[in-house]
Amino acid sequence: MSSPVKSKGARPKTKAGSDTAAEPAGEPVKPARAGGNILIVGVGGQGVLMIAKVVALLAQKQGYQVKQSEVHGMAKRGGIVFSHVRYGPEVWSPTIVKGEADALIALEWAEGLRWLDHLKHEGVFIADTRRIVPPFACRSRKAGAPINYAKETPADIVSRVADGFALDASTIAEGFGDARAANTVLLGVLSASLAYPEADWLEVIEASVPPKSRDINRNAFAAGREWALAARANPTLRFDSSITSYEAPAGLLQPKITLEINAAWCKGCDICVKLCPERCLALNAEQVAVLKSPDACTGCHICEWLCPDFAISIRTSHPEPVTA
Amino acid sequence: MNEMVRTLEPFEIKDYLRLQLMPHFMCPGCGHGIALRALLWAVHELAIDKNKLAIVSGIGCSGRVGAYIDANTFHTTHGRPLAFATGLKLARPDLTVVVITGDGDCLAIGGNHLIHACRRNLDLTCLMLNNEVYGMTGGQVSPTTSANRLTTTTPGGNAEPTFDACKLAEAAGASFVGREVTRQAMALKNVIRDGIAHPGFSFIEAISDCTEIYGRKNDLGESPEMILSQKSDMRPEAFGNVADEPFRPNRLVTGILAKQARPEYGAAYRDYAVRVKSKPGRPR
Amino acid sequence: MSHAPTALHGNHACALGAIAAGCRFFAGYPITPSSEVAEHMSRELPHVDGTFIQMEDEIASLAACIGASLGGVKTMTATSGPGFSLMQENLGYAAMTETPCVIINVMRGGPSTGMPTRPAQGDIMQARWGTHGDHPVIVVAPASVQEVYTQTIRAFNLAEEFRTPVIVLYDEIVAHLMETVSLPAKGKAEVKDRKWATGAEVGFMPYAETDDLVPVMSRPGDGHRVHVTGLTHTPDGFPTQKPELADRALRRLVDKIELNRDRIDEVEEIETADADILVVAVGIVARAARRAVEMLRAEGVKAGLLRPVTLWPFPEAQVRNAAERASVIVVPEMNTGQLSLEIERLAGRGKRIRTIHRIDGEPIGPDEIAQTIREA
Repeated sequence: MSSPVKSKGARPKTKAGSDTAAEPAGEPVKPARAGGNILIVGVGGQGVLMIAKVVALLAQKQGYQVKQSEVHGMAKRGGIVFSHVRYGPEVWSPTIVKGEADALIALEWAEGLRWLDHLKHEGVFIADTRRIVPPFACRSRKAGAPINYAKETPADIVSRVADGFALDASTIAEGFGDARAANTVLLGVLSASLAYPEADWLEVIEASVPPKSRDINRNAFAAGREWALAARANPTLRFDSSITSYEAPAGLLQPKITLEINAAWCKGCDICVKLCPERCLALNAEQVAVLKSPDACTGCHICEWLCPDFAISIRTSHPEPVTA
Repeated sequence: MNEMVRTLEPFEIKDYLRLQLMPHFMCPGCGHGIALRALLWAVHELAIDKNKLAIVSGIGCSGRVGAYIDANTFHTTHGRPLAFATGLKLARPDLTVVVITGDGDCLAIGGNHLIHACRRNLDLTCLMLNNEVYGMTGGQVSPTTSANRLTTTTPGGNAEPTFDACKLAEAAGASFVGREVTRQAMALKNVIRDGIAHPGFSFIEAISDCTEIYGRKNDLGESPEMILSQKSDMRPEAFGNVADEPFRPNRLVTGILAKQARPEYGAAYRDYAVRVKSKPGRPR
Repeated sequence: MSHAPTALHGNHACALGAIAAGCRFFAGYPITPSSEVAEHMSRELPHVDGTFIQMEDEIASLAACIGASLGGVKTMTATSGPGFSLMQENLGYAAMTETPCVIINVMRGGPSTGMPTRPAQGDIMQARWGTHGDHPVIVVAPASVQEVYTQTIRAFNLAEEFRTPVIVLYDEIVAHLMETVSLPAKGKAEVKDRKWATGAEVGFMPYAETDDLVPVMSRPGDGHRVHVTGLTHTPDGFPTQKPELADRALRRLVDKIELNRDRIDEVEEIETADADILVVAVGIVARAARRAVEMLRAEGVKAGLLRPVTLWPFPEAQVRNAAERASVIVVPEMNTGQLSLEIERLAGRGKRIRTIHRIDGEPIGPDEIAQTIREA
């Protein structure tokens, strides 16, 4: 694999490292590189920056120049977080352009898909299949309504990329006691694709995590690495084939929503009409609230809670599932 | 608390209302009704026996709210509900006593009673419905009327500074202080619930709307516009107490604003009585 | 509780009378010359599982008393003229909501701050008409330390029996006078309690018209979730502005006192049967008047004394009766003319009335009264 890092000008290479250098015996099959572009993506709170730091330190440990560029700050709201890590004998631009990432590490499924166009054709794609659906993906507030979220399954994606891995890293990490270590599981997977000594990885990880979580992270890394080596040997293990669809199951039982308006108590203040998120209420000719479009009502209770005259009451009943 | 809440029957407001008095007398769009619902909802979540619930209110629009509650309700004199409630709670510690008051009732004529109730820290909950105006008497300026607002006694706009009731209560020693807008009905319910559950004096300011008198006179829009504007006026406590110009410049910090463990006065007095009784040679 | 006889100050006797009557809540605010009542109550109440609280002002004091009384406890507050003025609004609330409570007003020189340590009788009319609107009120006016004790108990009994605020009106002299008094053994004082609802009544009306016009009271927590309001209300407790219902409600309020006068009136009459000269006096002045009557009887003058012990409602029938027989009525009082207004109203046309008014902070002595009688 050639280095995407363009050496501008004729600066002497001061850092060690070349295409063939430093490949230890017994390490995975990937050739060592003259640097690399690693893109790590996820949402706030998942530890994108932590593993970006690990990759950066690891690269630095290998004698490369490193640049890391990140966007965060939306983290508190579960927003997008990504980090570009570029390393090589000499690195100029801090960001990775489309189609130039050697590896894309996605801590969240849809974020991985969002950044797929940055991955090099032969690049490695590593993703946690755990889906974190943001509230604004819910285009309808009805219970069981379809969400506006990536429909692609792990099978779809892994079969589309050259070198893909999709695993439920969060569940693996939970097995070690903390789902937050999913990011380290993914590092373990990445380590199987990069020809750097395992000991270096572990050293850098231990230096980057709090002492009390060292054991969890060591186990998480080992589990990820082990899973990746097995998947590399047997491609059927590269994704969870049991996930066939992310569509909502058909025939989901809809709760029964009853919205009653006590016309004798309604004073026509218009609050319910204007504040209903679905705009399903209206005032009639007598200035009394009526349910204009019952099908649109999601039973969110806002009209009930904000009615100063207690004229609206909503009851939601969940039908018993029919068992065969 | 959450565990308990889940096992409750769904909240039916009619279970807590004196249905023979409904519909209530408040104007269309008056925020007091929303606050009343939040209060009753909180009472429901706390599983308080209606027979053991005492509502003490003063005079004004806020004072009339209590009558609709199917509980022991006391509609007292202007500004004095906290003083009445103090006597009632000391005499009957088994009752849950909630005071419903208004900005004029609580901060103007009743201001002295408020600060001393805060200081004493008796286990009362004071729910102050702040609509920035004397509604019942026709829309006169109150201690919380915003700057430059028109009222019937400030025809040229209000030039008097306002009280920050929550800061006042906290400074006076209230061991629980909270504020919420009626627009956030569920959050208001939660603050009221936590305030009632708090052992000590709880002061809760509910930002309410007077649409008919105050809103109309000041072109603040109809009821929906007024209630929607509450959100742009508030800054949840989670965002800190410092205005974050220009994103959250607003003056109204909401949420639980102060909470401290202080001896509850009723229990402290009863402990004192036990000590006195056990001492030989009682004073004469 | 101590056993009789013992020497007590008037304010101390008041506190002991309250405890004996079953008072278990006191809220007050310090004011000369009534503060000792609060001081003694603060010591006594914890021993009987009662509660004492010093409130932020007299407004709050009476409010707290009414709140506690609505909770089912017998309550009392004590004050003097300026504080009594502050209580007037809530006094009206107690009358309107028919909440039993006892208010001690130890009179001092007024108006305003006046002469805090000097006696006066300037609150006779304030006690009757201080709060706004037509309202019933009962005022008792003890003249000795012994009577402060017994009348305080009676005040509680009247408050409970008629569900109304009762004012105990005495002055700085009686408050700070130490006299030997005889107290009943503990638990032997006659004590009355208000009529309580059991909570099991169907269709309970908190302000229902009963035979004696005094409604049965419901204790919070017992099952009747009633509404109490200072607004004019119907028997169900909820406000009304309907003329016929308002009239009925307010007339019952006044009538429950007026039509039960036989249980409320109390006068002391000394040598009035054949009195040609009738002295009418209350409180500490009546003690001087009594001595004056004795002095004049010794001189052969047919003098007599009528002393309203229940000052309000005014003992009209008794005064008319005694006045009819007398040719001259002498009214000594420590104000510029309050009691005498009532006497002038009742004495009838052509009756000669001589009044003595002192507002200098000094009591009226027997000689002064005797001299007026001699000149009458």
